[in-house]
Amino acid sequence: MSRNVKLGILGLAAILLLYPLLFSGAFALNVGSAVLLAAISASAWNIVGGYAGQISVGHGMFFGVGAYLPLLIYQITGLPPLAGVPVGIALSIILAIIIGLPAFRLRGHYFSMATIAVAELIRIFTGTWEYVGAAIGLQGPAVGRGWWDLTFRDETPYYYIFLGVLAVVLYVTYELQRSRFGSYLRAIKSDERAASSLGVSVRMTKLKALVLSAIFTSIAGSLYSIKTGFVDPESGFGILVSVQMVIIAALGGAGSLFGPLVGAIILVSLQTATNTWFGGGGSGLTYILYGGIIVLIARYEPGGLYEYWQRISPRLWRSRRAA
Amino acid sequence: MDTLNVQNLEVRYGDLVGVADVSLKVEMGKVVALLGSNGAGKTTTLNAIAGLVPASGGSIEWRGESITRQPAYAIVRKGLALSPEGWRLFVSQTVEQNLRLGATALADKSRMSHLFERVYECFPRLAERRHQRSGTLSGGERQMLAMGRALMSEPKLLLLDEPSLGLAPAVVETMYETLHGLHKQGLTLLLAEQSIQLALDIADYAYVLQTGRTVLEGTAADLENNEQVQRIYLGVGAAEEAVTTSPAA
Repeated sequence: MSRNVKLGILGLAAILLLYPLLFSGAFALNVGSAVLLAAISASAWNIVGGYAGQISVGHGMFFGVGAYLPLLIYQITGLPPLAGVPVGIALSIILAIIIGLPAFRLRGHYFSMATIAVAELIRIFTGTWEYVGAAIGLQGPAVGRGWWDLTFRDETPYYYIFLGVLAVVLYVTYELQRSRFGSYLRAIKSDERAASSLGVSVRMTKLKALVLSAIFTSIAGSLYSIKTGFVDPESGFGILVSVQMVIIAALGGAGSLFGPLVGAIILVSLQTATNTWFGGGGSGLTYILYGGIIVLIARYEPGGLYEYWQRISPRLWRSRRAA
Repeated sequence: MDTLNVQNLEVRYGDLVGVADVSLKVEMGKVVALLGSNGAGKTTTLNAIAGLVPASGGSIEWRGESITRQPAYAIVRKGLALSPEGWRLFVSQTVEQNLRLGATALADKSRMSHLFERVYECFPRLAERRHQRSGTLSGGERQMLAMGRALMSEPKLLLLDEPSLGLAPAVVETMYETLHGLHKQGLTLLLAEQSIQLALDIADYAYVLQTGRTVLEGTAADLENNEQVQRIYLGVGAAEEAVTTSPAA
């Protein structure tokens, strides 16, 4: 890593750490933790979608499982929602294996379509299943019985919990990038057949990446439902949940370490802006925004902002030195 | 004992026949050439041996064990490495990362540094460019990298698909000198090549493929003087025989 990159990362980390002190209002903090949550799930998606190039548009299934389990465990047993997090992770791993084994026989768009189909099936199924609240969804503890219920009136604790989880996801991704496994993923992304002819077990490697990705996506879902205290089929398994991860990662740069975080900062800010300007009447605007971003990325910078930055940054340094 | 034994290989792509009936044998320590024009089935044959395309008929045996239905990643672990047509490099990764990926199948990873040394010795240009993205290499360097990457698995048999394709004559000559050197060190080669002269210079034995069938075989010396070979390759006689009739190369 060059000195400039290191400085940039330090600067970003400092801003993220100090953000609650700089903007203390509840609204600003809410936006901040929304950015972090979106960054966590997009970074999780990035492992299989960015590095391995397997574009899943059904990651909402892992997010939803992660979101439902804490509240379900609470409703059934009265245990703190936190107890449902590992159960959600375990179920997501099982789901990833069940989905991955047949779906990774498919390539490219067919794989993406299979993931959409499964996520939608789970959403519809959840919406009719009384045991998990059907279309109404589930609620968490209205008033916290202790710190372990993680129901804070203040936003700040959530913000730092999310930041901590994001740091873990990014650290794992960083290690992955440098590992042999990471280079297998990139090899699969660029030429599956060449990778397999060199001895990479393509389906097994993809499956491992999907499992790792599902674990973190599930955690993101749990964080969401524990903070909100509520989940329904749409907010857990909805297609928008899946699409948002893809768009954020693609906007920032799929297959790059900080791409999803940068994408989350931009997209969530934009969403917040349209929501505040247009209020509830503008709910359809999210789709327009997503569509517009897809068109812009596809037309001008398929590699996302990260590629754009890689292309222009050498020129920037040079012109600065020349000046 | 035969090292590699392919019997009546057939490969179909849906309704299309890539290879109809190919039989060949490669003995340990030999250089065997697969000759034939574009679309004769050379690449498909090599890909089938490497496990990249499934055989729909026939058998492929490697040291007495059937590898016909085995996946590519398992076959390379048995000591067969492919340097593919069009190189298929990982262009966004560096030369060194490409070579490292080549060592994926290596059972004993401690041999890696030794293999790196050997590859860099064979291809000094790769050593110079080890930290460069492979997408920035020239055609000749890419061919070297594809071969070097295949050698990183320390194969017993190297399958080479058209090492001379698209390269300048001077580069081709160096390439073949290197191949000759590798063979001297004991590497067995199965080489697909359009340039019959190059191939017969280095090969001990050769097979001629035409529209997916082995139509002729013999020692290099025999084939060089063979009338049919001269007719097909030296343009003596009907040219249409050499025209592509099968869609898969």
